[in-house]
Amino acid sequence: MTEGGALVSTTEPEATVELSIPARPEYVGVARLAILGVASRMRFSYDEVEDIRLAVGEACTGVLDRGEGLPDAPPIVIRCLVHPDRLSVEVRDTTPGSTADAGATGDDFQLGGVLIRILMDEVTSEEDPGSGQHVVRMVKYVAR
Amino acid sequence: MNLRVETTTPRDGVAVVSLSGEVDVYTSPRVKQEIVDLLNRGITRIIVDTTKVEYLDSTGLGVLIGGLKRARERDGDLRLICDNPRILRIFEITGLTKIFDIHANEAEALDAVK
Repeated sequence: MTEGGALVSTTEPEATVELSIPARPEYVGVARLAILGVASRMRFSYDEVEDIRLAVGEACTGVLDRGEGLPDAPPIVIRCLVHPDRLSVEVRDTTPGSTADAGATGDDFQLGGVLIRILMDEVTSEEDPGSGQHVVRMVKYVAR
Repeated sequence: MNLRVETTTPRDGVAVVSLSGEVDVYTSPRVKQEIVDLLNRGITRIIVDTTKVEYLDSTGLGVLIGGLKRARERDGDLRLICDNPRILRIFEITGLTKIFDIHANEAEALDAVK
């Protein structure tokens, strides 16, 4: 993942939508449906909404890959911050001490990481200093 | 489950695997199993029809790449049928159009199979 400096918003979002899903493959589709709903309410084109949907699905799949084989994996938390000019999405792996670097695991997720970077305008993948949890943050700007 | 997998064998040693719906981390193991089963039965020329695929993610791409590798190890091949611009774009941005032979329809794909 690239390191971006512009991801920390200096303005409050006009809406926040948060979803917690079980860290199981069958629930990734639920996260995709939710993000489709949020992005569709904004001034994104059809293709941009599809890009966001795929990127969020890939980020959730990456969490599953990192936690593969762990019993009772904790939920994946998806947080959507709606701003007038952009949608910011955080996908948080709540596994304690989940510090694995995104893209450093299986081949599929390396491909997933490539897709996320191409589809979104800004992407960071980092350990949250407060919780020690792994967070992928991605931003898509509304075309001006 | 949001994926339907249907396989026909129009010629000896040739199979067309038609996918309808979403190919993702949940459903892609079924596609992998279908391809592996075909190869184990000696059917090594596989055409995967993605015309009715509404969603394809990296796990689906990984299964197709793995299928192509396994087929080639058996002197076979794995080709794709795709006319959906959205799905084609995923192959393009990941550079996979250089790896896969992608055809517009089944007749064209069957013509290309040796």
